Amino acid sequence: MTDEKQSVCIDCGTADTGKMWVIMGPQHPFSHGLWTLKAQIDGEIVTDAEPIVGYLHRGWEKECENRTYPKIIPMADRLCYAASMTYTHLYCLTVEKALGIEVPDKAKYIRMVGDEICRIQSHLMWLAAVGTDLGNLTVFLWAMREREYFMDLNVRLCGARMTTNFPRIGGVRNDTTELFDRDILRCIDLFEKSIWDTISLIDDSSIFISRMRGTGYLTREQCANLGITGPAMRGTGVDFDVRRDDPYSNYDKVDYEVPVLKDGDSYARYLVRIEEMFQSCKIIKQCMQKIGALGKNAPYRLKTPSNVPAGRAFARIEDPRGESMMYLVADGTDKPYRLKVRSPIFTNVSASKPLVQGSRIADVPVIMAMIDMCLGETDR
Amino acid sequence: MTKEFLDKYPKNPARTLWIMKPVVTVLKLLFKTTVHRPVTILYPYEKLWVPDNYRGRPGLRFDRCVECGMCVRMCPTACIKLVDVDDDNGKKVKRPQINMGRCAMCGYCAEYCPVDAMTVTPEFELAEYTRRDLIYGPRRLAYDGINENMEIHIEETLISDIENGNPERRISPFKTDRPVLEASKCISCKKCEKVCPVDAVKMIEHGVNEKGRAILYPEFDDGLCICCRNCVEDCPKDALHINEVL
Repeated sequence: MTDEKQSVCIDCGTADTGKMWVIMGPQHPFSHGLWTLKAQIDGEIVTDAEPIVGYLHRGWEKECENRTYPKIIPMADRLCYAASMTYTHLYCLTVEKALGIEVPDKAKYIRMVGDEICRIQSHLMWLAAVGTDLGNLTVFLWAMREREYFMDLNVRLCGARMTTNFPRIGGVRNDTTELFDRDILRCIDLFEKSIWDTISLIDDSSIFISRMRGTGYLTREQCANLGITGPAMRGTGVDFDVRRDDPYSNYDKVDYEVPVLKDGDSYARYLVRIEEMFQSCKIIKQCMQKIGALGKNAPYRLKTPSNVPAGRAFARIEDPRGESMMYLVADGTDKPYRLKVRSPIFTNVSASKPLVQGSRIADVPVIMAMIDMCLGETDR
Repeated sequence: MTKEFLDKYPKNPARTLWIMKPVVTVLKLLFKTTVHRPVTILYPYEKLWVPDNYRGRPGLRFDRCVECGMCVRMCPTACIKLVDVDDDNGKKVKRPQINMGRCAMCGYCAEYCPVDAMTVTPEFELAEYTRRDLIYGPRRLAYDGINENMEIHIEETLISDIENGNPERRISPFKTDRPVLEASKCISCKKCEKVCPVDAVKMIEHGVNEKGRAILYPEFDDGLCICCRNCVEDCPKDALHINEVL
């Protein structure tokens, strides 16, 4: 394709279309999932970029309109396979708001534990993906090894590894099992030690640092204009986290920090995510204490009516990738009239142009991996 | 700011001894892998340990099933259907058949089974050569060594119980919710009596109409009813609805 600013070749004097569009994806080793990044390159420098999503569109929101409320829970699991419990939690929160019921404390804490397990699991999967993008397969293998602890915890909690189908409208499916209570603290202690192997692989290697530091700059203004949320936003110095600033469940009753860095480059996003994993461990420990204090007989699942009264409800939650929201329009029957999902990645990927502009083509996979693409929720 | 975050973490010895970095890392790893057992398993020869409540394929206890069709109604992927099959006495009965190619292993069939006939099983190796082999009939759904841990119960707390200061009571909706008749709509068609899987519906005579035919209204035996909603769904005049106790 030609550009307006065509340069003239020094040797022959003819117009030289120096810029070229490179289509990366939908099947490309750089893209984690089915999406395309069109990058315009001038030599080795990326001058323009355009993301194309929609290859995985499967009519999720329309499908919900033909299903009764409990049947949407297994579907919400499949919005994001890496952090399935957060989306199920979000859906249940939305329906509970429409019903106007308050979930018992124990259910809230169990949901928070599930959320944080999913957050760690998702960040580890991202770390594994970054490792392969940076050309280090050891990071991939070690991060996946640590992720396996949390998969096992999911099995002990609800019997499934990835698509957990665990939160219910009005609570959670089952109480924490004895195996889970025993294993979760051990797992976290083990994780807090063994993750250092993986971190030291990246942090102690000047190659990785130089590929991450100073690439993929974002500013606070760009975050505000493009609607970027999550670790990508906190890496640019915006101190906002839905868990702390608009608390849902019982996040206001536990003590944790929100990591914020001002650098705005890929390395800041990496550090924010690493720190978030440690904060999640902190939250899980406190939640398990509170669950133990509530006792085995505390209620964890409320009975809810199968018909939701006509009205609208809106809930938002801090996903591992950003801020995800759901908007429900109920018409008084046992099926939703409309269910709208706002996925954080769908908006975050729109930042790909300011992110990759001016960087080298070889840095594009690393920069885009820092967004942590998840196509299940983007295309819905 | 970045420096502060790094300083919080314990210093890795490899960070200071930069020449020894690779040596230290490799030696540490060598020591670790020698002492510890392997992380991976040799899959076909040794299998992952899974607990009893692992959500593998659904299992069925043939004798307990009452053909209420609750699993069919609750399945999110519509992979279950009721098929005719002979039971041990040669009697024709209906039992669920599952298409494993569509099953999402969500465990709803086990959770919403009012008589705990459907269970989850720890069986996860379901590969077959053809699609036809993926369809599990009622007899094939049986699982050796089925036990109570594989059942999933709905143990809900009523909101009214919490308000009355009795938050420790757990109850399943199949024990509280019962169908209620709106007598003005009933046309005495006896359909609810026919579809009831547990014979909880009895048609009771309430006088005669102007043509001299008997007026029959259904009466529900609360002890036998399992709240399967078959009568509610099959009622031609929508005269029945489920009274949800909250």
